[in-house]
Amino acid sequence: MSNGPVIETAGLWKRYEDVEALRGLDLQVPSGSIFGFLGKNGAGKTTTIKVLLGMARPSRGEARVFGYAPSGHDGVEIRRRTAFVSDEKDLYDYMTVAEIVAFTRSFYPRWRADLEQQYLRKFDLPPGRDIKSLSRGMRTKLAMLLALCRGAELLMLDEPTSGLDPAMAEEVLQALVGHVAAQESTVFFSSHQLAEVEQIADHVAIIDRGQTVVSGALDDLRAKYQRIRLVFDGNAPEIRVHAPGTHRVRRQGRVITVLSSSSGDAVIEELRGYRPSSFEVSPVSLKDIFLDSVRAEDRHVVAQSVA
Amino acid sequence: MLWHKAWLETRWRFIIALLILTVLAGGNVYEYLATQRLLPQAIATAETPAAQATGLGGAIREAIEIQKDFRGYIWYQTFRQNLTQMGVFFAILLGCGGLLHESSKGSALFTLSLPVTRKQLLGARTGTGLAQLFAIAMVPPLAIPILAPSIGQHFTIVDALAHGICIFVVAAVFFSLAAFLSTLFTDIWRPLLIAIAIACGIAILSTVIPQLGIFSVMNGESYFKTGSLPWAGFLTSAVIATALLYSAAETLERRDF
Repeated sequence: MSNGPVIETAGLWKRYEDVEALRGLDLQVPSGSIFGFLGKNGAGKTTTIKVLLGMARPSRGEARVFGYAPSGHDGVEIRRRTAFVSDEKDLYDYMTVAEIVAFTRSFYPRWRADLEQQYLRKFDLPPGRDIKSLSRGMRTKLAMLLALCRGAELLMLDEPTSGLDPAMAEEVLQALVGHVAAQESTVFFSSHQLAEVEQIADHVAIIDRGQTVVSGALDDLRAKYQRIRLVFDGNAPEIRVHAPGTHRVRRQGRVITVLSSSSGDAVIEELRGYRPSSFEVSPVSLKDIFLDSVRAEDRHVVAQSVA
Repeated sequence: MLWHKAWLETRWRFIIALLILTVLAGGNVYEYLATQRLLPQAIATAETPAAQATGLGGAIREAIEIQKDFRGYIWYQTFRQNLTQMGVFFAILLGCGGLLHESSKGSALFTLSLPVTRKQLLGARTGTGLAQLFAIAMVPPLAIPILAPSIGQHFTIVDALAHGICIFVVAAVFFSLAAFLSTLFTDIWRPLLIAIAIACGIAILSTVIPQLGIFSVMNGESYFKTGSLPWAGFLTSAVIATALLYSAAETLERRDF
């Protein structure tokens, strides 16, 4: 599969009456990637997905999926090649499991009947059961089945595991990973669950207030960011780090923790100048990068005491 | 399959409407003999000084005159009253709902993720609704020529079909009105109540302004009295219904979900 972007947005804006949900969003989702789309509540994740699928129209800017603009008949082509699972996982209550499977199948010539049977068994979904009588977990599994069997090149999932217990969430994630490994499709999924993003994603974008603040391959981001821990014999001094790439400085008792990126060597050099008794550089988690990215006040170099 | 979905969403409304309207039409047939026995009493009421003083006597006499034979009785009781009033109500009920109402129940995003246009979604729902409307406009009138011989009366199938078409064409206007209002409101109640209020308003106004007499087209008054179908009324109704459905499609196209 090529590495060109499946999804591409440039300066995408969406305004709902007096709320600006997207404010110049730039995004590139490489083909074949598992792309985690992160952000706080109200950051614009669901709005982005709706614009990409033609469910909402952008106020300005450009969005392309498979090179097509999502509105009009091109939107039909996008949706023919894309499977979507919404956050609510609400389906048609008046249908049975078998009926909604047959209904969805009729729109997709590349429907995978083999996978349909496989997931009906794996997810333990009774075909004759009314959808209205299914639990939230079962509805999520059914929504996943309807997405995975479409033979889609792109899976777009909005909070796929929200409301599920950890065991069921793990089951859904494993099904997703197994499917992607076998089908080589691209997955674009939004989530609040940083651990699950870290578990399955190879690329991430973090958005805040309708803008992309961090984007890239997860390994690259991990390599780019580092945590530097300084321990002093007495109380840690108040410090100001001037080297570029310093994101967050925290002072707690004898310890100062600094989150840095890109120009890490310059930061380390500057910090050594404070002569700590011990000095340790360690990799950071996605959670550290996420929290750093969505806290505007922390984006600047500010010495902060949390003692 | 969009047709099947639209059918599943509206089937109970349709079946209930069909049953009620057919029972009403059939009931009218079997009440005919009893009604005829009451006519002398009604004539006596029309002749009372109180009735004559208020003008009620004239209205009663006119109603009695029309209902002297079976054809007149069926037109007056069934087409002029029951099927017109209830037909409008059920046409509005069938027109309510759709994609915007689905958004309040959460399933709209699943529907919108399918590889179809919004016009196709609206088209399938409208087509299904109009087919159901056609059935509820035609089946109850056709029950009349079938049941009439059982009480020794006769009603032609041609008359039943003509009145069925009159009901369908005008009911389609109210169906389209409800479909249009359903692209403005997410719940089902506001389109329903607003459309009923508009229908009541037209009924009241048409007593003052006869040109608004859309219900006289629906009850086939000109066909009953002269034998000719109200073609101008049909054309006007078709234009209004088309304009409402076009507006519904345009409104839905511009809508964010």
